[in-house]
Amino acid sequence: MTNSLNDIRHAKSMIFIGSNATEAHPVSLQHILHAKEVNNAPIIVVDPRFTKLAAKSDEFVRIRPGSDCAFIMGLINEVIINGWEDKQFIKTRVSGYPEMKEVAAHYTPEVVEDITGIPAAQTRKVAKMLAMNRPTSLTWCMGGTQHHIGSSITRAFCILQLVLGNMGKSGGGTNIFRGHDNVQGATDMCVLSHSLPAYYGLSDGAWQHWCRVWDVDYDYIVSRFKDKEWMNANGFTLARWYEGVLQNDEITQYTPIKALFQWGIGLNSNSQFAKVKEAMDKLDLLVVVDPFPTATAAACESDNIYLLPSASQYETSGSVTSTSRQIQWRYKIVDPIGGCKDDYTIMQELVNRLGFADEFYKNIKEVPEDITREINKGALTIGYNGQSPERIKKHMENWHTFDIETLQAVGGPCDGEYYGMPWPCWTDEHPGTPILYDISKSVAEGGLPFRNRFGDVATYVMSGREEIQLAEKGVCNPGSEVEGGYPEFKDVVPGTNWKTDLSQETIKEAIGRGMAPFGNARARCVVWSFPDQIPIHREPLHSPRPDLIEKYPTYEDKPNHYRVFTKYKSEQNPELVKSFPYVLTTGRMVEHMGGGAETRSNKYLSELQPEMYAEINPRLGNNLGIRDGEMVWIESPEGGKIKVKAFFTERVDDKTIFMPFHFGGMLAGKSLAGNYPEGHAPYVVGESANVCTNYGYDIITQIQATKDGLCNVSRA
Amino acid sequence: MARKKISKTGVSSTARSRVTLNPKLARRSFLKLSAATAALSGAAMTAKMTGKANAAQAANDMYPDSQMVRSVCTHCAVGCGINAEVNNGVWVRQEVAADHPVSRGAYCCKGASAIDMVTSPQRLKSPMKRVNGKWQTLSWDQAMDEISAKLTEIRDTDGPDALHFNGSAKVSTEMAYLQRKFAAFWGSNNIDHQARI
Repeated sequence: MTNSLNDIRHAKSMIFIGSNATEAHPVSLQHILHAKEVNNAPIIVVDPRFTKLAAKSDEFVRIRPGSDCAFIMGLINEVIINGWEDKQFIKTRVSGYPEMKEVAAHYTPEVVEDITGIPAAQTRKVAKMLAMNRPTSLTWCMGGTQHHIGSSITRAFCILQLVLGNMGKSGGGTNIFRGHDNVQGATDMCVLSHSLPAYYGLSDGAWQHWCRVWDVDYDYIVSRFKDKEWMNANGFTLARWYEGVLQNDEITQYTPIKALFQWGIGLNSNSQFAKVKEAMDKLDLLVVVDPFPTATAAACESDNIYLLPSASQYETSGSVTSTSRQIQWRYKIVDPIGGCKDDYTIMQELVNRLGFADEFYKNIKEVPEDITREINKGALTIGYNGQSPERIKKHMENWHTFDIETLQAVGGPCDGEYYGMPWPCWTDEHPGTPILYDISKSVAEGGLPFRNRFGDVATYVMSGREEIQLAEKGVCNPGSEVEGGYPEFKDVVPGTNWKTDLSQETIKEAIGRGMAPFGNARARCVVWSFPDQIPIHREPLHSPRPDLIEKYPTYEDKPNHYRVFTKYKSEQNPELVKSFPYVLTTGRMVEHMGGGAETRSNKYLSELQPEMYAEINPRLGNNLGIRDGEMVWIESPEGGKIKVKAFFTERVDDKTIFMPFHFGGMLAGKSLAGNYPEGHAPYVVGESANVCTNYGYDIITQIQATKDGLCNVSRA
Repeated sequence: MARKKISKTGVSSTARSRVTLNPKLARRSFLKLSAATAALSGAAMTAKMTGKANAAQAANDMYPDSQMVRSVCTHCAVGCGINAEVNNGVWVRQEVAADHPVSRGAYCCKGASAIDMVTSPQRLKSPMKRVNGKWQTLSWDQAMDEISAKLTEIRDTDGPDALHFNGSAKVSTEMAYLQRKFAAFWGSNNIDHQARI
């Protein structure tokens, strides 16, 4: 999120695409509705469903699942054709624009209508609304990402904001509302198979950096791996780890997966859940660490499983990073309840027994504060170095001193700082960066240019044109010693750069000279390392439009995609829609969270929302001879099958089925409640929507495509 | 309409009714609180209304010897503030945080019922394992010994990449960092979490 929830108060228009904030982030609505009412800012909601957020909108755009990229490229084209683009912003701070413009030109309102189902006149209308009401705050969530072209869709969102000149401005920005309470913090720490903490990646340099932070020999870490080559290779992901067990698709690893830790995570938010279950049953060891048994305990039916009762988040302390990049200290409210241990203690007991405690805890004596300090020492790429535990706690204790409009403290002990010191927070004195890429303020006061990350010059393959990637002359933050673009800082301390200089002298020098440690560059429209260098539409793997598969086919199959063969072209079958004629999409409801382990064990929430259902348009229901409230079977092309209650509603159109994904503890019409330890089953069990979500994974990130699959519906 | 209702049954009166495990009582106070929340997070929000639910007033209503602990809701990334009243080591009451700069006293139904994360009887209380299809409790030491022995055996026989570790977006940043560090010291990149999907 480049701006903050509070900053949306300053928007002049808002567009939400694949976000149902009213249910998924309800409290954010007070800022959104403030902009709507006080600024008269129109709300545009683009979604396959008429969501509760759509009910608050000025313009609801019903889009066919998976066609977001075509719509956004269409908006970009319409903005350019009418001359509404921000010419100065593009000339000085954007690269690859002419190449992108050429691609966007394909997506005329009429082409967009054919792909997305959105009337051409509505695409024209929305483009004009955005152009006439700047800045626009653009928000997306999983509806924008969970597609096999999710990485292209999200880039198209960013390019739209660049073309409109809405980046680095209060009231503008790309404001992705993150899901879990600390998904931003956990992402920043890269609990991810392709990077070490703070997005350093897996290169030798990255490992050497973190070994210096950990104060251990690089060779020691090398010795822990099978061979050095595995240190640099992306691991399995949450989306497809189970293939490491089942090997239905070929794996690129010397051993199958035999053991699994599930530490604070439910598995029923995984697509292809029937395969996940099969894999769990086949493991030699499955360890669940969680306050609740989770749906894993019910779905796994073999003897290989251990449940370790961890304390809840309120029974331990530590920092959490909100969607606005604010870091808050979650104080412990009470001690772990009887029999439970907090996560830190469980980790310590495990590491002690595995024999690497001395190396692992070398700098960590006081928990969790010394861990925060180790993060402060090493996570320089994203400026996690200025938020010491003492400063975070000070903000928490003085949260009442921060202004709602600016999030800046007005007097008091945090005077002038931004709430939660949103990263990057470069030094112990830095106030945090409330809006990314904002060149109206000095870097020392929370301003930033675009990062120089991809070299100084690039030549585009599609045009042969060479372009300087640094910002134009004269474009910089106030007080910058260099008046214009400049590369990232290095060799201030010889042999290091701003990311690897543990003395942090490089960062201080840059700030002292009024400059950003990471340089001042242009934002790219062309990503030369991606298969689609400029975002284009590709039909969902399982498409209801065989005619469009021919025009907009998917990618070639990808071997060794995070260690597993991943099907694209060989999976895209134009005949599939004949047997599975309806589009299946999923989402959240306000009463539950994620896989629902916590909320379905909460007596209040269980009473409010006790039952799994599928939203079906009355026209479709009547055509199929189904009655509202009757049970129906939903079946997926992969053989997944669940029995759920039909809920007739015009929220969905007559080609689309919607299901919430929070339920678990039932499978193919049978309750698995008896599989939980006695007395610990959640109050509410239900079929998992993800038994029916389809095969399909993003070409870059491997995010699962749960929003645009196919299914069949029949009376149960 | 909403405004009138809040002044009668709003936050301050909820604060006087003790949160309890008695389902009837608890439900009643919960519903009151969520009615107030629904109105507060809706279009009718004014500064005057939020003024009614200020923390100072709640503090005056606290039990003797109680402490108010500031914390953060664990249900989504908005990061709403929580004021938790703790008495003799027990979380006795959840209060709105009207002066929190982001949430300004609002909760959704999940946030309003955060206390049940601690009080839910469905919580696990002991390590367990399944033996011949039946769950058995075991001590922490025994569980950790068995798990580490099995992990070591798998590591020795099949190599470190035979383990996959799914970590969490629901733990603290410090704990998330330890999860990633654990994988590094274990010797594998087979680690991931919810942000992937």
